[in-house]
Amino acid sequence: MRRCALPGLLAACLLAAPAAAAEVTQARLDNGLTVIVRENPVAPVVAVSLLVKMGTRWEQPATAGISNFVHAVMVKGTARRSGSELAEAVAALGGKISATGDMDDSEIRASALARFWRELLALVAELALEPKLLPAEVDVERDFLLSRIQKRRDNAPARAFDEFFAALYGQHPYALPVLGTPESLARVDHAAIVAAYREGYRAARMILGVSGQVGAPEVLAEARRLFGGMPPGGAVPEPVSPAPLGPGRRVAIEMPAQQSQILLGGLAPSLEHPDHAAVKVLSTILGGGMAGRLFVELRDKRGLAYTATSYYDPVRGPGALVLYLGTAPGNAARAEEALRREVERMRRELVGTEELRRAKGYLLGRYVMDRRTNERQAWYLAFYELEGQGRDYPARYRQAVEAVTASDVQRVARQYLGTVTTLVLGPR
Amino acid sequence: MAHASTGLVAVLLAGCAVGAGSPMPGPGSASPVRTVLPNGVTLIAQEHRASDVVALQLWMRVGGRDESPDELGLSHYLEHMLFKGTPTRPPGAIDDLIEGLGGTSNAFTSYDYTHYDVVLPAGQVRAGLELLADIGVNASFPADELEREKKVVFEEMSLVEDDPEKYLGRRLNELAYAPHPYGRPILGTRELIQPLTRERLERYYKKRYVAPSMVLVVVGAVSPREVQALAEVTFGRLPAIRTARPDAPLPPAIDRSKRQDVSRAEKQAYLGLAWRGAPNGDEDIYAVDLLTTILGDSPSSRLNQTLRERERLVASIEANYVASAKAGLVTITARLEPQNLERAEAAIREVIRRVRDEGVTEAERQRAIITAESGYAFDIETAEGLAKSYGQAETTWTLEDELAYLGRLRQITAAQIQAVARKYFGDANYARVRFLPEAAK
Repeated sequence: MRRCALPGLLAACLLAAPAAAAEVTQARLDNGLTVIVRENPVAPVVAVSLLVKMGTRWEQPATAGISNFVHAVMVKGTARRSGSELAEAVAALGGKISATGDMDDSEIRASALARFWRELLALVAELALEPKLLPAEVDVERDFLLSRIQKRRDNAPARAFDEFFAALYGQHPYALPVLGTPESLARVDHAAIVAAYREGYRAARMILGVSGQVGAPEVLAEARRLFGGMPPGGAVPEPVSPAPLGPGRRVAIEMPAQQSQILLGGLAPSLEHPDHAAVKVLSTILGGGMAGRLFVELRDKRGLAYTATSYYDPVRGPGALVLYLGTAPGNAARAEEALRREVERMRRELVGTEELRRAKGYLLGRYVMDRRTNERQAWYLAFYELEGQGRDYPARYRQAVEAVTASDVQRVARQYLGTVTTLVLGPR
Repeated sequence: MAHASTGLVAVLLAGCAVGAGSPMPGPGSASPVRTVLPNGVTLIAQEHRASDVVALQLWMRVGGRDESPDELGLSHYLEHMLFKGTPTRPPGAIDDLIEGLGGTSNAFTSYDYTHYDVVLPAGQVRAGLELLADIGVNASFPADELEREKKVVFEEMSLVEDDPEKYLGRRLNELAYAPHPYGRPILGTRELIQPLTRERLERYYKKRYVAPSMVLVVVGAVSPREVQALAEVTFGRLPAIRTARPDAPLPPAIDRSKRQDVSRAEKQAYLGLAWRGAPNGDEDIYAVDLLTTILGDSPSSRLNQTLRERERLVASIEANYVASAKAGLVTITARLEPQNLERAEAAIREVIRRVRDEGVTEAERQRAIITAESGYAFDIETAEGLAKSYGQAETTWTLEDELAYLGRLRQITAAQIQAVARKYFGDANYARVRFLPEAAK
């Protein structure tokens, strides 16, 4: 039992900050655009994440998917080059560039060999500031998006998650699929795309994160040159969102597939809520890794699934804590019951010391590992700023997780999984 | 992309693979140190101080291609069972240990190898090596665990079948290679796995999991010297049982008979074409790799620009090259509306014909090289990414070749790229799998 010898060492053994210390520099341009640069000497690469406050949070059912739609059209060409010329220019840097919409934000994401950081940043700026947004491209991209929507509808896990969020969030915009719906995309025309772009791309709504083998002063100067001329734009209006429907529904959907999908969960606190860390720990105890309860109880002990996990993503709120598994249709009823029992157990029993320690170790270890690549770092830098958390968030988060007690976990299990929404999707 | 990365993940692996590899030296040491312990275990170690972690990977020179017809799926089944426990580690103890330290574990099975990896805090390198050496020879296969895991493997089969892109990759690979061992189902079949006994699995394990089949790769914030010393007192103590790996035959040629239409519930169609490429170790791999990139690696590629952007025949399209130890395969896969299937296939042939007839441009060649360089550069961001490239190289060709890869890629001319297009990519020598919506068939 090698494990028994370890606990004394743990505090020192848990994954800590990267050995190669990275410098982070932050500046706010006069027009309000925030630039954050992380100097990371590890590899000769650079990653850029330009986040903009536009996403489903600001959308209505009639305009669902417009944020993502705008970005799909943006990459199809700028004032200086066509879509294919843009693709070639990026490839020549050993790079990639993409633009997508999400819930709280939209992102232009780019990466390349570090020696081309200047060219890469210029391409990001070109895309953000001078997209062509041609009417013909709007129609073409609509067809591609409709095709992607169909792909999601044909894919059992993807469709199950879409249906689950629709059931859980009800009238709240987080219920809307990021890709939109065939009905909403049909209504979004060229004028709407241009208007949404103009509304979103204002300096005060944008955060630029850069991470890689670069010098911060040079990147800041270049960012100022490229983005400094943007008009500031007004303050970001907070959307007035209807309250989510609230949990408690059970939805069953028929769909031909080999596996049945089962999702069960509830509304959960936002990233900034004091309960966020406790719910992260709760989520990890249930569905984190191969020692998580769902994996052990439902997969290892009962063979009910290949994937048995939980999700709790940081959002402005309200968040969602979701337990998920895919299983043979004949086992669906038993699997759903087993998931419910695990939730009930969390509400009823205090988690043991050792299990709590394992969950925190796993959660914080994954968090450190996830922030090792420059692409993730660029995104994290920009995302925490966008969510109003600032650069000390990782340290605060770590402290908050370490402070979570067994009774905190039980309390949040009772509070956020007191009533759950259930979705079962599968063959008849 | 490095020649054997994306495709492997997309097409061949069973398990939860992530990331890709690269042989560029990371911070801390100039190059990997390779040694062979007296019992035959190969050790590759490199210092990588990007963060306080160490990636420990055990690569077994055992995979789907080594199975006899009645052993199909056993390499993959072992992959599922090894983390279950040993006489000194009860079920659950391994996962608790790794995850309690903030580490992760992962495993996957290919035709040429089976891979186990853990990422741990750097101070835990000894615990990690002890763990891997233990499961490498002492896995205990508790009978009840073995029975229960059958259901999990069946769920994995169902999960793959429900994912059209993954399933297309599997079907295409199987069709293109059959009856070669590379063309058999890596997960086995329900019929073979259902009656699997503990004795049978253990027999396979004892036969194949021996010291000379083991490649241990350790990359992280530890010195190769320290790793060497620790490997000697862990892996070095495993018995030196000699074994001969079964030699895989050459795969059959592909002709027009390799056609398969599959009726599916999705509303969209999927098209997969596969040409025989060069195996790892062959001098053609560099040019085939660049050609694959030029054809379908990115939005700027010829297939994307022609079929997606210009002719609007497909919603998505990509090309992949998987160079395995004994053979290679280049695949082109697309998602599209069923009415466009014939025209899309003709358009793909036309794109390739133009490369055969007219070659590629110097700008395309340079972009493809820089794409490969970039793939390598991004992979050295993490210890496990670097370790993966080394393990994959050691088990499918050689570490030395992998380290020289980028340099050789840069030497390839546009004329050589055109030459491999002529040599490998004909109008008739490809396998084809189509997924057709049920309503359209």
